[in-house]
Amino acid sequence: MLAPYLPILLLFALATGFAVFSVGIAPFTGPRRYNKAKLDFYECGIEPTPQPMGPSRFPVKYYLTAMLFIVFDIEIIFLYPYAVANKALGLFGLVEIILFVATVFVAYAYVWRRGGLDWD
Amino acid sequence: MTHLLLAAGNTAVSTPSVSYHALAPIFIVLGAAMLGVLVEAAVPRAERFTVQLMVTIVGLVAALVVVGLLHGTRTTTPSPTGNDAFFAGSLSIDGVGLFLQGTVLALALVAALLVSERSVDVGSPIVASAAVVVGSADDRRLTTADRVQTEVFPLMLFAVSGMLIFPIANNLILMFVALEVLSLPLYLMAGLARRRRLLSQEASLKYFLLGAFASAFFLYGLALLYGYADTVDLPGIFTAQQTSGKSDVLLYTGLALLLVGLLFKASVAPFHNWTVDVYVGAPTPVTAFMASCTKVAAFGAILRVLFVGFSSAEWNWRPVIWAVAIASMVVGAVLGLTQTDIKRILAYSSIAHAGFILVGMVAITKQSTASVMFYVLTYGFTTLAAFGMLMLVRDPDGEATQLARWSGLARKSPVVATVMTVLLLSMAGIPLTSGFTGKFYVFRAAWDTAGPLVVIALLSSAVAAFFYLRIVVMMFFAEPPVDSPTIAIPGWAASVALTVGVVVTIVLGVFPQPVIDLASKASYFTG
Amino acid sequence: MSPVALPGSGQNVPGFGDLPIWLVLIKVLLVFVFLVVMTLFAIVFERKVVGRMQNRIGPNRVGPWGTLQSLADGMKLAFKEEIIPVLADKAVYWLAPVVSAVPAFLAFSVIPFGPTVSMFGHRTPLQLTDLPVGVLVVFACSSLGVYGIVLSGWASGSTYPLLGGLRSAAQMISYEVAMGLSMVAVFLFAGTMSTSGIVSSQDHLWNVIPLIVSFCIYAISVVGETNRAPFDLAEAESELVGGFHTEYSSFKFAMFFLAEYINMITVSALATTLFLGGWRAPWPLSLWHGANAGWWPVLWFVGKVVAFIFVFVWLRGTLPRLRYDQFMHLGWKTLIPINLVWILAVTSIHVLRDRGWPAWKATVLPLGIVLLLIVVPALMAYEGYTARRLAAAAEDDEDAGREEPTFPIPPLDLRVPTSPVRREPVTAGLRGGATALDRTIDHGDTSDG
Repeated sequence: MLAPYLPILLLFALATGFAVFSVGIAPFTGPRRYNKAKLDFYECGIEPTPQPMGPSRFPVKYYLTAMLFIVFDIEIIFLYPYAVANKALGLFGLVEIILFVATVFVAYAYVWRRGGLDWD
Repeated sequence: MTHLLLAAGNTAVSTPSVSYHALAPIFIVLGAAMLGVLVEAAVPRAERFTVQLMVTIVGLVAALVVVGLLHGTRTTTPSPTGNDAFFAGSLSIDGVGLFLQGTVLALALVAALLVSERSVDVGSPIVASAAVVVGSADDRRLTTADRVQTEVFPLMLFAVSGMLIFPIANNLILMFVALEVLSLPLYLMAGLARRRRLLSQEASLKYFLLGAFASAFFLYGLALLYGYADTVDLPGIFTAQQTSGKSDVLLYTGLALLLVGLLFKASVAPFHNWTVDVYVGAPTPVTAFMASCTKVAAFGAILRVLFVGFSSAEWNWRPVIWAVAIASMVVGAVLGLTQTDIKRILAYSSIAHAGFILVGMVAITKQSTASVMFYVLTYGFTTLAAFGMLMLVRDPDGEATQLARWSGLARKSPVVATVMTVLLLSMAGIPLTSGFTGKFYVFRAAWDTAGPLVVIALLSSAVAAFFYLRIVVMMFFAEPPVDSPTIAIPGWAASVALTVGVVVTIVLGVFPQPVIDLASKASYFTG
Repeated sequence: MSPVALPGSGQNVPGFGDLPIWLVLIKVLLVFVFLVVMTLFAIVFERKVVGRMQNRIGPNRVGPWGTLQSLADGMKLAFKEEIIPVLADKAVYWLAPVVSAVPAFLAFSVIPFGPTVSMFGHRTPLQLTDLPVGVLVVFACSSLGVYGIVLSGWASGSTYPLLGGLRSAAQMISYEVAMGLSMVAVFLFAGTMSTSGIVSSQDHLWNVIPLIVSFCIYAISVVGETNRAPFDLAEAESELVGGFHTEYSSFKFAMFFLAEYINMITVSALATTLFLGGWRAPWPLSLWHGANAGWWPVLWFVGKVVAFIFVFVWLRGTLPRLRYDQFMHLGWKTLIPINLVWILAVTSIHVLRDRGWPAWKATVLPLGIVLLLIVVPALMAYEGYTARRLAAAAEDDEDAGREEPTFPIPPLDLRVPTSPVRREPVTAGLRGGATALDRTIDHGDTSDG
């Protein structure tokens, strides 16, 4: 049952090994010349802007996008099994899936008209 | 390769046959809610309120009519087809289910009218923009602007659709989905009060957090029951109790946790902690909606779980119901005595009433089912009207809910005082009001099996009667305060709602027989 | 309660999972090497092609015709100094490039390179593994890749990377929706989500022909998904310096670079698998009987992948970058609704044909409904747009009390003084820009020629 996942695991091990090795080896292969300005944040040479710490680094707007994404991702997750089992489910499945998509579409229309998809 | 896969899988998938007509009320309400969302998206702001109200009322009335047409139905749906029994019979449309659906719809109709009341406050009782920071310049502007928010109508319809599924769900997973569908809009609606925004937001957050806990309890109980019975169908769990050889610990722990989740929704002590703060913080019409409709739906679900799934285990759960009923009545009555705010008093009274309703559930008889159904109906209308009355007595900064502000109200407005008196007497259970008939039938149904419990119930209703009568006495015999509150003249919507509430309260007190007959006729389960 | 078994769930795809472990290891190594080599190739290929499009030669110094340029660049990066900003969140900063690169490799594990061949005495499909939910693996890996970018932006603790990371996160999840929806129709046609099953379902007709709309949406959305021009807002060098990897250098930077190119190769390979017939030979070649057997299909597969990558490069060489709001607008307001309507239409046609409706009727009816569905909302949207503009204007009136910020505006009739006839050559001004320039070169010289 899980045998087909074994190659993915091996590839994962190989890729992780490669990535960790490359990232880990870098400090030893490269030169190290200390310079205070180099270790500062890069902001085109001007004095760096202080950064807010913690979750407030992300504006609320992005959370909104994330929620919309979850709504649609769940829709996709429901559509996939339906698409695969489409033949077996027949007309019943078609009616149900149209109802389902229509429901999400109503929410989509609401979000659109209320400016949830507008960016500035 | 593809053909192999399909051939292997095809036999397992078969389409269920759903009797759509029996579920029509739910579809109508859900459809109206979706239409409401579209209205929100498409109709210009000026006409939105009227259109939303029309959609809501038409949807609820249509669903109510369909529930009436369905009377006498005994069916479970979806019917099993082929070898696939998954979710078969998970909804059972029977007498109890239809009666409670009808009750929820009727109460929701009245509550929708209360929500749409626009004459007593600028705009409406619902805040125009709930996300504005309290105390900011925008917030101050909102209190004087007459902008209204109309999303509350679709939210309400979504909640109603959950309440329609909740009492007819024979499958615990579906019951959980219904629980969430009815809860999530309510969490939001609790935070929409136009006045006292901070209290309202606090209420919303409290309700959400505690509700999430309760949902977790419900789910955990569900999981344990599934471990015991290998099924989440209530009839299946019932059969498993006769046949399963597994440990009863799973069964009783599962039932206990399940009940915690359900009793929370019904605001039964000791799971009542959220009730008072949420009822006070939420906009008053929404409180009315929660106190009436949510209670009906929650007790419907408790009825079904206990009477369909666990009727053979009654010796094990009866002491629990005894305990929570007593706790609820005592907490409601005693803590209600100490309150000085009418909204809080009504909230505690709702906890006490939850205890009275539970008294009716200790006996598994047709009579007790009917008495519980009748009680939630009478209590629903009375409490709706009582909360509605709170909207009318106002100070400059909102509703005057302090008990002291109500003293001498009869001199200022005899009509308001009289109507409130009728409603309070009904809650106290004075004869010739619906509260009396409701209590009478519940206690009579429980008398044979649980005499002592009925005695305790009578005692605590006597205690509770004291604080109802205290309000009446204050309204009629105390001196009014110097700057007495104003009495707002309700618009047509609230007038209709309040009239309906009071008329039902009196009619069911004087002439309850037809409705009792209907409830007895409807007190059968299928599933 | 009997468990519902959907077609293909719970069963392994035949032919996978019963191989000796050494053969699996060889295949894993081959996939890894293929990806690294393809990355090196793709970088040179891109620089050469973009060079030609801009009337340049492109890299031509290292190796024959400059073909070893990217290898040399990679070597050079290994010996560059690694700079970690003092205030960076060290652990996350370190982790981000790994998180970015690993899923990129993993996504390729379910891509079929060819049919069953004989390898060291074993009959085995030219594919690392296959699952009944194969495409979901790719989908999952592409989602995980977002983490690397968001974390890198967050951990750097610097303005530009943060903005780049945020943009990129929003952009990738937005376009993932469109990408995911565009695959639904393919699963519908194939009846399975296993990649080998999808390829074998295209033996008569490539999916790109009946599902042209899905293909176009997929092609557009993967450009956004991989942060490539014209949708490379996450690393828009004119706005955000380097975007999320501004603060990265040395091999950590190389990891992001590697991940980006592997992602590009993966989505090209997935496009080939889902829409372009996978490893099947294109039409004139498919007349030859042996074209779809043995090791030849690997050639067709790689050819299709490179052709798709060429389109990526072509887009980059041709189109200017979109503005952020236009970009999100395209994803949310154009691709998603078209996709949903298209899926419903395809599904309806499919089901109605299955139920024995005549083909023309089954096609015309859903398409008619779809047209209605598009035209009516479009009209509504237009009407709504005007209404909203009016409402916004009304609201503006409401808010008129608020102070509008005023900006200093130069006088419109400003007379420009005539320039002096002779000027001294300017030398002093260049020094200020030197740091910025150096850094761009340090990071950017592998990106284009």
